[in-house]
Amino acid sequence: MTTTTYNEAAVCVPRAGTLYDVLELILDRGMVIDIFVRVSLVGIEILKIDARIVVASVDTYLRFAEVCNRLDLNQDASSRTVPDLFAGMSGGVAKGGAKRAAKSVGGKVKDAIGMGDEDDDERDAHDEHGEAEPEEAPRARRGSGSRSGSRTASASRAGSRATRRTQEA
Amino acid sequence: MTTGSRLYVYGIVHADRTLPPSTRGVGRPPARVELLPVGELAALVSDVPPDLRARRRDLMAHQELLTALGTEGPVLPMRFGMVAEDASAVERAVRAAAPTHLAALERLENRTEMNLKAMPVHSAVEALVRDDAGVRRLAADVRRRPSYEGNVRLGQAVAEGLARRATEAADEALRTLVRLADEVVRGPKVPGCVLNASFLVAQERGERFRAAVEQFAAAHRERVELRLTGPLPCYSFVPEKPKEPQESQGASDFAAGEASGSPGGSAARPTAVGS
Repeated sequence: MTTTTYNEAAVCVPRAGTLYDVLELILDRGMVIDIFVRVSLVGIEILKIDARIVVASVDTYLRFAEVCNRLDLNQDASSRTVPDLFAGMSGGVAKGGAKRAAKSVGGKVKDAIGMGDEDDDERDAHDEHGEAEPEEAPRARRGSGSRSGSRTASASRAGSRATRRTQEA
Repeated sequence: MTTGSRLYVYGIVHADRTLPPSTRGVGRPPARVELLPVGELAALVSDVPPDLRARRRDLMAHQELLTALGTEGPVLPMRFGMVAEDASAVERAVRAAAPTHLAALERLENRTEMNLKAMPVHSAVEALVRDDAGVRRLAADVRRRPSYEGNVRLGQAVAEGLARRATEAADEALRTLVRLADEVVRGPKVPGCVLNASFLVAQERGERFRAAVEQFAAAHRERVELRLTGPLPCYSFVPEKPKEPQESQGASDFAAGEASGSPGGSAARPTAVGS
């Protein structure tokens, strides 16, 4: 804490927002000593799987397709430059489509592990009787876009979730 | 800390280290952390809070303690949640592997872990369509004959295309960045990420490393999104259990084929650090 370099480093210490990005390092890396036991990580395994935006899902595919369909392909052959072509797109459909869903999912997950706010006290109150709490929120999300998606769902990382939706349909 | 009770173990350091008075452990209220000396080494330990789980605040306490200690000298970070039966169990374990631990501490001296995650750029659909004839063809088909199946196929091609572009760019980033690192380890697969890699970087090169990542990210913003976290405790560079194969690779393996990838070379040394 005495030199500039170290203070500089300390400024970059991961905070709540980025704990998310190093969760798997804290939990899966680091030294293990055989004769030590490990505290129960119930809920964490599921959380880790659900924590990330699942790109390979029918929902995401349909959003990407929607973005594509709004691009004016006919303009491709014209003499307009690429920046002209896609002007206005970047702030619009693309971000509004795939990213909107991604954000809402991320928000829920952060809530679930309590990374979103400075609400440790409140969280702890929940923790006392909420053992299964971490896995609830991410699972309880959208159930749309479920028509005949089983073929692609099998190739999906979110296989089980997509399959469940298919059954509901 | 009562003798004979279970101990939470944060990490292992040299015996001559001192703990800053602000050092706080897991639990609420935060447990008092102490150094348990074992020969030339010492274990960072505290009482085990009742009902210890992987809560945000406990994960952060573990992380922050190790990060803070890491700025002052080398630390072997334990995985979160390691609990020893009692002080003598800690002593036995540390003593049994003392030479390994000392060698590891020496290797990590003045080094830090930087973790890089690479993700597809979801908003780069335009760029993909522009560059990828296959996707353009699918899009044209769907436009002619709109159908649910067609849309799924198109969207899947887009997702795969975005992931492919991101993977290619991430591999390129890896080859570039490895020259600034001593070692590289690929981390566990993380859903949504095409790359999860940790770099062992000299502390004095941390800023330069970050700048290199930012530069690469800016130059390839249509292909890949990069997220760099660090400096971190060297979770990915501790000695592994003997039965698990050593995944850590020399940096030069990644730089194969590239000119002068010597990780310790002075060419890449930053002239100013910390600013």
